Amino acid sequence: MITAISWRNIWRSKGRSLVVIGAIAVGIWALIFLVGFMNAWLVTYVKNQIKYESAHLQVHHPRFKKDYEVIYTIKSNNKVLADLIKKEEVRALAHRSISNGMIASPRKAGGVQIKGIVPDEEIALNRIDSFISEGSYFQNVKRNPIVIGYKLAEKLKVKLRSKVVLTLQDKDGQIVSGAFRICGILKSSFPSINELNVQVRQNDLNRLLGIGNDYHEIAVLLKSNVDATLFSEGLRIEHSELMIEDWKQLAPEMEYFLESSAGFIWVLQIIIMISLIFGIINTMLMSVLERFKELGMLMAVGMEKSRIFRMIMTETLFLAIIGSPIGLLLAWLTIAWFGSHGMDLSNYSQGLEMYGYDNVLYPVVPPGSYFQVIAGVFLTAILGAIYPAIKAIRLKPIEALHKI
Amino acid sequence: MNVIEAINLTKTYTETSVPVHALNAVDLQIKKGEFTAVVGPSGSGKTTLLNIIGGLDNPTSGTVIINGTDISTYSDSQMVNFRLNNIGFVFQSYNLIPVLTAKENVEFIMLLQKEEKMKMENRTFQLLERVGLHDQVNKRPNQLSGGQQQRVAVARALASRPSFILADEPTANLDTASTENLLDLMAEMNSEEEATFIFATHDQRVINKARRVITLEDGKIVSDRAQ
Repeated sequence: MITAISWRNIWRSKGRSLVVIGAIAVGIWALIFLVGFMNAWLVTYVKNQIKYESAHLQVHHPRFKKDYEVIYTIKSNNKVLADLIKKEEVRALAHRSISNGMIASPRKAGGVQIKGIVPDEEIALNRIDSFISEGSYFQNVKRNPIVIGYKLAEKLKVKLRSKVVLTLQDKDGQIVSGAFRICGILKSSFPSINELNVQVRQNDLNRLLGIGNDYHEIAVLLKSNVDATLFSEGLRIEHSELMIEDWKQLAPEMEYFLESSAGFIWVLQIIIMISLIFGIINTMLMSVLERFKELGMLMAVGMEKSRIFRMIMTETLFLAIIGSPIGLLLAWLTIAWFGSHGMDLSNYSQGLEMYGYDNVLYPVVPPGSYFQVIAGVFLTAILGAIYPAIKAIRLKPIEALHKI
Repeated sequence: MNVIEAINLTKTYTETSVPVHALNAVDLQIKKGEFTAVVGPSGSGKTTLLNIIGGLDNPTSGTVIINGTDISTYSDSQMVNFRLNNIGFVFQSYNLIPVLTAKENVEFIMLLQKEEKMKMENRTFQLLERVGLHDQVNKRPNQLSGGQQQRVAVARALASRPSFILADEPTANLDTASTENLLDLMAEMNSEEEATFIFATHDQRVINKARRVITLEDGKIVSDRAQ
């Protein structure tokens, strides 16, 4: 009977109940959309960082990363590269020579990191050729081609097919230079690609460095179902002579970013839930105040306070039970639509580019988050109903009965 | 045997700057099956007396004994249980539960008593038939007239088979025909179910039907006569 009374009570003031149901639905929608949107940011950021910056794991000479000294190479006769190629967990890999140096145009000069790469490997690794805005990715230039980012090109005031000179130290510490012709200009959302790195063919760089067929780095992209940390641990056992780091070790800020973003989502969720609590308190309190006399009568005729309390709580839960599926459906539809069409944020592309984000985000919500949000909203509804319910049971029947 | 025994009841309201003595050393006994009207002008203490007898208010001093038990010894929850099982209330403004039908309003009390479903339904139909509303069982209070609502309230008050029924100005909002109808009904219930009725009223029609009339003035019983 209490359930029936509660159910009918919520329809006594349809407008007010619909406002609360709407608030709960919008609250759920907002929470889930927020989770989806934040996940899209996180996924895009981490995915891009892995794809274009760190890969899932990198292999170096143990001392190479300390000062990026040319002599600390992975020898060409080391079996690690061949071993990795054979492993079925590996989706793609690229081995690179790396040197810090200067790039100079006839008008300007600046410091850059020079990567000696094998173009086909890089394309397989991350489709970097898709960022080519002018020219090509190491095609149609036979001698000493170089690919640079568009911001660096602007800084050096050079164009496609302009000549630049790279100056660096070889393995003996001697300063060496080489002239390169720009065959491609990259434009991406990564500062490292746009401004800080240049790419040349590995043979060309190794010739300047004097390191033969040796190299400095292997970047490995794993298949999606492979745990990078576990894989790295296994590889470390096989090749203890090398330094093998997974993406969390290579970019610890990414893990911090993931943790802080999760905290940020929680804070936003709590803010939305607090707003919802006040909405529910307000509505249920009005509902209780309007029914003082009726509640007084119920207590007078012998309804226990615990049942009155339960009745008010049940009314609130009904509002949540009606509002939740509406909010869930709206949220699911929104996430599904934006998940397939993407959210175009190209109006903010400059800002996004600075931080390595794509212009189009694809919200994604793991199923567990739906349950988490629903649990949160029900908790909110219960918390919001407690004060009005306490107010109701504190009524003295004689006073309530004489309220006009 | 006395169903109700009030001994030296006093109620003083001190919330105002001048204390108000609503009841002043009231002694009263009500026996089973009585049909009693407590009358007197406004402010004479009728409602206060009924509230204290009904366990809704506490006396400043004095004792109320119901069926041999001093109700001042009850805790809050015992008092709720006591009211549920011993007292039927009929209020001036009916006070039915607006979201329940006539049938559900009557059943409600028995549900609180955890009565068996079959017994509950039988009793509900019996009572609603007795108050002449067997064809209105599924109507909500706002679909019934004032007189019909008050008859549902009487059926509800009787549903728990209480020791007595307290009716505070039950006819105040009713027209003459409805009042006559309701009073006849309550008189019949009084004789058929041996239900003890105590009215607080200043309605002469109720006073005329009562078999005992207690008159209060300034919180004191000034007359107590059978008729």
